[in-house]
Amino acid sequence: MIHIEHVTWTYPHAETPSLRNLDLHVRSGEFVVLCGASGSGKSTALRLMNGLIPHFHDEGSLVGTVTVDGIATPGAELDEIGLGTGTVLQHPRRQFFTETAREEIAFAMENFGFPPPEIHTRVDDLISQIAVHVPVEQPLQRLSGGQQQQVAIAAATAHRPRILLLDEPSSSLSADAVERLTATLAQVKAEGVTIVVAEHRLRYLQGLADRIIVMRDGAMSTQWSAGTFRSLPDDVLAREGLRGDIRTAELPSLPATGGSVAQPSPGDQIRSAALELEGIRCRLGGRVVLDIERVSIAAGEVTALRGANGAGKSTLARIITGLQRSAGTVRLDGKALSRQARQRVSAIVMQDVQRQLFTDRVDAEIGLAGAGAGQVDESETVLRALDLDHLATRHPLSLSGGQQQRLVVATVRVSNRRIVIFDEPSSGVDRRHLRSISDQIRRIAASGAVVVLISHDEDLLHLAADRQLTLAPHQAS
Amino acid sequence: MPVPSLRPRRGLDPRAKILLVIGCSIVVMSPAGLRFVPFALLLAIGLALGERDWRRAASLPAAAGVMWVLGWWLPLWWPNALTAVVSLACVYLIRFVVAIGVGAHVIVTTSPTQLAAALRIWRIPRPFAVTLAVMLRFFPVVGAEANAVLDAMRLRGLVGAGGLLRHPVLSVERFTVPMIAASLRASEDLSASAILRGLGSRRKPTAMQPPRFATPDLVLVLVTATLTTAALTLPAPLS
Repeated sequence: MIHIEHVTWTYPHAETPSLRNLDLHVRSGEFVVLCGASGSGKSTALRLMNGLIPHFHDEGSLVGTVTVDGIATPGAELDEIGLGTGTVLQHPRRQFFTETAREEIAFAMENFGFPPPEIHTRVDDLISQIAVHVPVEQPLQRLSGGQQQQVAIAAATAHRPRILLLDEPSSSLSADAVERLTATLAQVKAEGVTIVVAEHRLRYLQGLADRIIVMRDGAMSTQWSAGTFRSLPDDVLAREGLRGDIRTAELPSLPATGGSVAQPSPGDQIRSAALELEGIRCRLGGRVVLDIERVSIAAGEVTALRGANGAGKSTLARIITGLQRSAGTVRLDGKALSRQARQRVSAIVMQDVQRQLFTDRVDAEIGLAGAGAGQVDESETVLRALDLDHLATRHPLSLSGGQQQRLVVATVRVSNRRIVIFDEPSSGVDRRHLRSISDQIRRIAASGAVVVLISHDEDLLHLAADRQLTLAPHQAS
Repeated sequence: MPVPSLRPRRGLDPRAKILLVIGCSIVVMSPAGLRFVPFALLLAIGLALGERDWRRAASLPAAAGVMWVLGWWLPLWWPNALTAVVSLACVYLIRFVVAIGVGAHVIVTTSPTQLAAALRIWRIPRPFAVTLAVMLRFFPVVGAEANAVLDAMRLRGLVGAGGLLRHPVLSVERFTVPMIAASLRASEDLSASAILRGLGSRRKPTAMQPPRFATPDLVLVLVTATLTTAALTLPAPLS
């Protein structure tokens, strides 16, 4: 079904190839998992299969042959390849072209010219399947990550492609959403669709995959049959830099009260701590999205903020950092702080760190962050500690994703903020980088900051968090 | 499980909405347009109320009210050169408030696929129609990225009138560079996914729910056409 023969691919302006003499064959109906460390070439291999390589990168260099469902992709039109393949990108919310599940599912069929009655039948069918777990009448951007994933898969398979390609589909999903993803993929597989998944987390796929291929430096390094993979111990996966058994993070709950707290505690269990929130109530779009009567978060340790999407995690982070108005009081070290004062003592490491790089050189970025805190002299030390000193003169936007994230962490360290929020910092990272991110989080907490970690990643929470505050969607009373 | 009743409520036909925007813009921007501003404002508020968009329904009269006070009353209460300039600007800007109010209805209530289907019926060339549909989808992406960059700048102490006045170019650069970088990254995923799903392909597209010109569309288009004709034929107050 998919034949990749002796393919070497170099992205435009890249010095080294991302795929080197890759040979990969996938049979019809087979379920193949591509795994490997970040930068090993697994996502690039997927882009080769759906034709985005070479069609989306005009000046790249492609050597070798790629045939997908009988079509030689380099010479074919992208929509011709798209008719036979369905692709789900790593961040479904970024790939939605419409606002509702119904329109999104119909989108490909409309563009490919399916008759309207057939589109209606197929959309009704798929909507009825996903409506069990997805509030399909809601705008897509308001759905949780897992719900968006289900809509994205329905939209990618609506035109009945014979091949489904998924890029790190579990990267931002909670444990129950991963279970639903597994069930959905099992159903698609049962329909005879050939499936290729590029993924870091592997265990959830072991009951489905026929073959697991480990990639390294743009080529196939190892491959395991389903049976062999199931019997592999976790340390073998660790040696390959792969994530194996998910370590469930069983963290002690932070005592808290309020309508948004999943398991409220008796008020007398709440002790004083560095950061105290009292009577926090926030309304957005005419409804209460967050209601926390009282909670105290300690400095020097990492507090995980957990709960389903829509439970108010991001809103709480924005209130703590002074970016969001709300009723109630936020105290730091016993002193009530205004929104502006909270902005001056807070920092966020965003999921998309490109949004928070403002200068044209790495050292200038550190200098800018340190200037406000009188820490300019520490710049070099911090750059060295985060392995960024050799990149000091580079433009921040020219760095890799991991390097950009370390740079933002470096700016947080030199800016000496008392409150630091990490928002899903491990989305789509391998085992080695997961450890590195966890070390950075721990180090900032050890410096005496109040650290809040928003994450669905059980592995990261296991490594980096000390306590948890679990929120639940606020129910109108 | 039964199929939920999810067929969306049919709003106005996108073609009627486009004609409405063009017509209202001509009406309020014409030399005699000022006298039609209240009609067009009522229309914009009515459209917002029809969509239960209370915020838009409230903010439109509020913005127009501010323009009216600054444009007509302020120079009477406090006549001087400054209020005269402000008055002149507001007398003109009130027209934009109304035109933007009607335009906002199109942007908020028209999905890119509905717009593309409407433009196909009008036989608008495909490259133009696809570009407009992509632009409609891209507005919210840019808005979300801009808000996120501003949040990040606030936390780094880079937002404020002082900094903007001292280093205007640097301040704008610090906002625009990350905003463009993040928007481009988001748009790459969006365009890749859309092209793979056939957007802009040579095949003849269809529509699950083809636009249908109904009685409310006809009434609105006739009202707008009447106003447009009146605005273009009535003499301007000062002529």
